[in-house]
Amino acid sequence: MQAARRTRILVGFLLFIASLPAVSRAQDSGEEFFERSVRPVLVARCYSCHSSSAKSVKGGLRLDNAAAIRRGGDSGEIIIPGKPDESLLLEALAHQDGAAAMPPDGKLPEKSLADFRRWVEIGAPIPPDRGDSRSQSADEAPKSIDFAKGRRFWSLRPITEPKIPEVSDPRWCRGRIDRFILQGLDGKRLTHSPEADRRTLLRRLSFDLTGLPPTLEEIARFEADASPLAYEREVERLLASPHYGERWGRHWLDVARFAEDNNTGEATNKAPRVAHPYRDWVIRAINRDLPYDQFVRRQLAADLIPGLPPSEIAGLGFLGHSPVYHKEPKLSAEIITGIVAEEWDERIDTVTRGFLGLTVACARCHDHKFDPIGTEDYYAIAGVMAGTQIVERPLVETDPVTERALADLPRRLVDLDLRLGYAREQRGVAIEQKQDPAPFDRRIADLKARIDELKKTKLFAGPTAMAVRDAGLWVDGSDPSWTWLDYRPGIPRDLPVFRRGSPSNPGPIVPRRFLAVFSNSAEPPRFSKGSGRLELADGIVGSARGLTARVLVNRVWGWHFGRPLVATPSNFGKLGDTPSHPELLEDLAGRFIAGGWSLKALHREIVGSATYRQSSRHDGASQAIDPENRLLWRAQRSRLDVEAWRDAILAIVGTLDSRMEGPSGDLESDRFTRRTLYARVSRQRLSSVLQTFDFPDPKRHGEVREQTTTPLQQLYFFNSPFLLTSAESLANQVCKESTDLPERVRSLYRRILLRNPSADEHSRAMQLVKSDAADSREGYALLAQTLLISNEFLFVD
Amino acid sequence: MVVFDSTGTYPTESRRGFLRSLSSGMAGLGLAGFLGTEPSLLAAGSVPGTHFAPRAKRMIFLFMAGGPSHVDLFDPKPAIRKFAGQRPGSTNIRTERVTGGLLPSPFQFRQCGENGVEMSELLPHLQGCADDLCVIRSVHATNPNHGPATNFMVSGRTDPTHPSLGAWVSYGLGTENQDLPGFVSLGRASFGSARNGYLPGEHQATTIGIERSAPAQMIRHLKNLRIEPSRQERQLEFLRTMNAPHLAERGDDPLIEARIRAMETAFRMQTAAPRVFDIRQETAATRALYGEGVFADSCLLARRLVENGVRFVQINNGGWDHHENINKDIAKKCREIDRPIAALLTDLKQRGLLDDTLVLWGGEFGRTPVSENGDGRDHNPHGFTVFMAGGGVRGGMAHGVTDEFGFRAVENRVSVHDLHATVLHLLGVDHERLTYRYSGRDFRLTDVAGEVVRPILA
Repeated sequence: MQAARRTRILVGFLLFIASLPAVSRAQDSGEEFFERSVRPVLVARCYSCHSSSAKSVKGGLRLDNAAAIRRGGDSGEIIIPGKPDESLLLEALAHQDGAAAMPPDGKLPEKSLADFRRWVEIGAPIPPDRGDSRSQSADEAPKSIDFAKGRRFWSLRPITEPKIPEVSDPRWCRGRIDRFILQGLDGKRLTHSPEADRRTLLRRLSFDLTGLPPTLEEIARFEADASPLAYEREVERLLASPHYGERWGRHWLDVARFAEDNNTGEATNKAPRVAHPYRDWVIRAINRDLPYDQFVRRQLAADLIPGLPPSEIAGLGFLGHSPVYHKEPKLSAEIITGIVAEEWDERIDTVTRGFLGLTVACARCHDHKFDPIGTEDYYAIAGVMAGTQIVERPLVETDPVTERALADLPRRLVDLDLRLGYAREQRGVAIEQKQDPAPFDRRIADLKARIDELKKTKLFAGPTAMAVRDAGLWVDGSDPSWTWLDYRPGIPRDLPVFRRGSPSNPGPIVPRRFLAVFSNSAEPPRFSKGSGRLELADGIVGSARGLTARVLVNRVWGWHFGRPLVATPSNFGKLGDTPSHPELLEDLAGRFIAGGWSLKALHREIVGSATYRQSSRHDGASQAIDPENRLLWRAQRSRLDVEAWRDAILAIVGTLDSRMEGPSGDLESDRFTRRTLYARVSRQRLSSVLQTFDFPDPKRHGEVREQTTTPLQQLYFFNSPFLLTSAESLANQVCKESTDLPERVRSLYRRILLRNPSADEHSRAMQLVKSDAADSREGYALLAQTLLISNEFLFVD
Repeated sequence: MVVFDSTGTYPTESRRGFLRSLSSGMAGLGLAGFLGTEPSLLAAGSVPGTHFAPRAKRMIFLFMAGGPSHVDLFDPKPAIRKFAGQRPGSTNIRTERVTGGLLPSPFQFRQCGENGVEMSELLPHLQGCADDLCVIRSVHATNPNHGPATNFMVSGRTDPTHPSLGAWVSYGLGTENQDLPGFVSLGRASFGSARNGYLPGEHQATTIGIERSAPAQMIRHLKNLRIEPSRQERQLEFLRTMNAPHLAERGDDPLIEARIRAMETAFRMQTAAPRVFDIRQETAATRALYGEGVFADSCLLARRLVENGVRFVQINNGGWDHHENINKDIAKKCREIDRPIAALLTDLKQRGLLDDTLVLWGGEFGRTPVSENGDGRDHNPHGFTVFMAGGGVRGGMAHGVTDEFGFRAVENRVSVHDLHATVLHLLGVDHERLTYRYSGRDFRLTDVAGEVVRPILA
């Protein structure tokens, strides 16, 4: 399902589409057969008695529409698809005994009889009647979705506050989380682990909340702090750090599949001029703890919310940086429509899996096979996407003319450039074929003039961002040689159902609206304000808020603990995982909403829990009962992700450039020493470091990061210039800092592992350093690198 | 310096050996003693090993992503020509997309080799290997879309979470050469073919780009330009003395262990890979045998890799998704793969490796006998062809039959699970006993199905 959908957005497939010849995509050929060989006979020989145009319909049988043919007449069904010998129609046509001989004025020719027979044999396909979705062929007749039953599914129910469980050791519990966790442990007779030591705890907390290691001083201070609120103070300090927004913003950017270019970079989908404003908006929103419901609304519809400053337009980058696929205007409107539908599909998928944990995109070709999501739901949301155009927009107050120019001009220029190129090509061909190139010369001159004219308008030079605006898209095929995307600002669009997902097989129009499962009426209220983006957002944080909160709380839990309560954070449907601690999830989600959707409050509660503060100790007996630590009898050990280990190394070396925000840099360049989230993320050519270290593919919504362990990763640690240079720099620093050899070794341990070496370790480290050449800097560098690539450094207890 | 037991090839005890080797690298730390008190540590996660004598010891999987057309390559169907342009009435040939009438293959088939296996003129070199090929014409799968179908072919499941065939083989048999990864994937891996899923991390494929032929360019950071090998050896020794107690204190942590193993492999790859991965060391005659191009280089490299003890090599070759213009495009694809695959088989044979090296060729599905877009073919998982060669399969035979149009497998049907069961069987592994406990249950490559296809065993 999901994977099937992914297939569709593959570049390969797009290339295939893009290279299709401009042939009309015929109906299913069985239906073609019906139209060619069966229908004409029906019209000529049967309609006079068996159609709406008959003076009186004989035998209660009509043969002029698919539903009626299937229904049959007063004698019952007339065809059994696939079984000609059991079909009354064929008996009648054959003038067999026991059936009324039809047509009464004489048997059909043998050829026609054979055609009818063959048609029944292949399943009696009939094209659906125009405008009637209920008359599709049997195998795709919509089964009705039982929404009432669907609403009772655990993730779609309203949140109810669970009872706080009685547990074996209430004194251990610092908050409600611990009650639920302990209840799970009690059930398996597991015991929790003791609290981790302070160094471990602060390292864990610091990486978790800011993505950076603590400094030695911070550890010393925390270890010396006798106050009962020492830990809480650290939590507050870290949550207030701007680095918190960088860390947690990056988590969100996985969900938003943020990238700075497209899967390919052809004429019509070149990388946008600016990309960082959305990333920076996310960081700021998280740092100022913008309530999550507002966070959702602004990413979908900041432009439609009254009273927001224009800088909030940057939040629209959630949609504004959606992958855009190349749409070669020489392709037919039909094919371009198909490509556009793929784009909408990707957006629907990211919005619904990202915010709602629902795989709505599975309902593109047929009703969702497992969840209460109908094809009509899909096209109701697709209509919102069809009324939404990706454009660059100013982040400060401007006038409408400036804004319109920014949105429209670049696209017109691309189009004229393409036309110019085409005209030049045609001219070349004309000359080659010894034809008169004059018409093309005129055309070229004309196009050039228009381009020059357009270029006179200077684009807005102030701050801008990739965003969206309300503009319905119609694919204009009126010029068969040049398909034009006709965006109509301010005009919304309802889409028809595309039968079997095919835009060239449209069914009934579906009004834009929210998913039916979140409405109590059979027909949810229609969206009426523009594209409906704001109403969509309001649905997500309104009627669907229970699910939305569950999904978000679960993601946050997963980012803290390394594993979410529901192992499939973007699929809360029937094929998704069920929560390991259902009541805990309910409790957290319910209070998340009640407390004003505050992420920071959620962090406080989670990291403040006794559960979070446990040590990651090994315990054979518990291990045997719960090897995966699903019940959290100890802290879940985690491995630093690529951003965290790279940033940590830069921080330790002291070269970390902690300037926030702004245009991205090149991760492969040794001059780039900013935090990793400021490295350029490309869909077309993802940096090899990111690729090697489990960065999610930004071509699509990132549900979770896979964790791989490969020799190629280790080669990077052993041999990459980044590691070698970092180690050399550290060696220089400790050599400058002290002339005392043993102290230099200790210093490296403290800087990197935040502790002094044991006596054993120290003497072995000294040996390593000394066994090197006379100039011992190289030895220290070797030691520094070894510490940097050690498991103690890469794993967080 | 290498404390690893590099002769422990079929490592039924590899984990024990692994831990022991860790401890022997740091005498006096008492890790062995510590481990001795921890029976659970030693019992868990041992590599299962073979269940009976293997016919093949290693495998090369030539994965043709996109779905090659069996009716143009291995499964001739005169009825398609006879009823060209018509829709066969006798069978439901509906697929995902709109298709037209029967599209005859313009390519001539010929009976090849002593046993007369029929093959298309598109594969002239491979025709010469006919007596080594076991052509299975009755494979069937479940899903018509690339993603799920590829997952199914490479992992036995349509959802993208399960370990791939190569990962299972690596897990089941371990690596023969401690200096190289047990599972190498050449070329861009499609979908999950490199995935270890829930299996320990070291069974994930090491994916190598093959556009450039110098090993140092193929494998990034293979060479250390600043630290000479003897110093790096000391560094690794020291690293072991850090990582071993770190692991021991933390008990059984597969992620940490996987990294330790990967570090060891990476370290030794630096020495081994520049030689093994360097196809330029081949003689001019051998290189000429394979021909030119990335796919040819991959085949040659695959031979070098299996020769040097890599357990499983997968070559990913895309571009078989011929929805249109198939006659021209498939011919082009065949020119790309025909000579190299024939060369691979010949070369393996000459070196006496074909007997215990299993070669599998195939895509995630085949294609329809009817046309799509006039001159293409749609996806068809209902019946298609793969072939095997070497390692214990009968050469010179065709197994299974599709219907008269080549749409659906009808006789001696071979499901993808059957195929996997057979592959494991040839490697000496009982597919029902190669399991991994995850999330409370035992998982298998073959899920709850799969039967060994006995008639094709040599």
